[in-house]
Amino acid sequence: MLRYFISACFILCFLTGRSQGKPIDLQPKDTLVYKEPYGLRAGIDLSRPALSFLNDDYTGFEIVGDYRLTQKLYLAAELGNEKKTQQEELGNLDSGNLGELYNYTTSGSYIKLGIDHNTYENWYGMNNAIHIGGRYAYSTFSQTLNNYQIFDSNRYWNPEGFVQGATEPEEFSGLNASWLEFVLGLKVELFAHIYLGASVRLGYLITDKASDRFPNLWIPGFNKITDGSNFGVGYNYSLSYFIPLYKKAKKPKKKEVETLE
Amino acid sequence: MGKASVLLLVLLTIISFAACEKDDICVEGDTPLLVILFFDVDNPTVEKPVPNLRIIGLEKDSVVNTIVDRSSSLDSIGIPLRIDQNNTGFSFITGSADDENDMETGNIDTLTFNYETKEVFISRACGFVANYEGLTDDLSADTDNWIESIEIVTSSIENSATAHVKIFH
Repeated sequence: MLRYFISACFILCFLTGRSQGKPIDLQPKDTLVYKEPYGLRAGIDLSRPALSFLNDDYTGFEIVGDYRLTQKLYLAAELGNEKKTQQEELGNLDSGNLGELYNYTTSGSYIKLGIDHNTYENWYGMNNAIHIGGRYAYSTFSQTLNNYQIFDSNRYWNPEGFVQGATEPEEFSGLNASWLEFVLGLKVELFAHIYLGASVRLGYLITDKASDRFPNLWIPGFNKITDGSNFGVGYNYSLSYFIPLYKKAKKPKKKEVETLE
Repeated sequence: MGKASVLLLVLLTIISFAACEKDDICVEGDTPLLVILFFDVDNPTVEKPVPNLRIIGLEKDSVVNTIVDRSSSLDSIGIPLRIDQNNTGFSFITGSADDENDMETGNIDTLTFNYETKEVFISRACGFVANYEGLTDDLSADTDNWIESIEIVTSSIENSATAHVKIFH
């Protein structure tokens, strides 16, 4: 009888010794990992249809989209079509508008492909972005010279105005151009996967195929070409919808671990 | 705060590029004038100004606006050609003066130039200007021509810097 008691005591002592083996963990870890949504975002530019409505000489629309590659990198693209009629007039003269010089219409489409890098640190659960990026863009278009006058600073033979050029509109088709763009923009999540975006762009023209008779003065997607400069500016203002495809864990930031001695 | 100010600076730079616009004044080119040099017919390499020179375009009442009227010191002049047709005629008057009835007493020679116009696009601010090619001259013979002979130096007129026609008198 006593033997059983002593054996039981020994076993119990041993067991109680084992339960005190692990030190008490004062920082319990949450094993739930935060995953960010990855997917495709597609939308349209709002400024171009608005300008088409307000301005008789302009029609255009643009589709924007991007696809998230990594936590901070997005593959982005824009696709658009624009048509603009412009009248160039003699300006900056004291006598006011002496006359019209030429009137032309440019119409065509463009595509821009590139990468956006998000520089904004999102808080938990937010998906906004302030991004910088670049694009390679290509446009094909045609220009039509609607009418023009011959510039002559001597007013002896035609004192009332410039001599009219050919009256039939001339079309120059099969023109194209390509350029690089630096993009700075932001995208804000309004609610439930709807994003509002705005961006400004600085473009640098690389190739410019023009007709011999009339140079390219305005390119869809690149906007106005200034004499003697390859730079152009543009902007866009977009509304897009995010289609989530999968979720991926956010990479944890390296933290300095304080060790207690 | 540092990142936001950098982004703001880049944004302002891009916007300022959009605001920059070159002055749209046409300075890069112009429709050229016909440049004529006057030489002595007896000494063909010596320039000889025309006394009291007056030039009036045919079908116009006023004198040409590119030279001083009735000047005696001009041996090189530039006159405007018509763009809307392929010929321009001028009355070249030497010894120009008015009598008591305001009638011209000088010697009038009628000279017509024939050419083809060619339109050339210069720049965004200028648009198209006219150049002339295939220049030929046609002097109307009358009882007393003061112009002895005419030589076309270059039949293509693209600028007003070089002489296009030499007139010997």
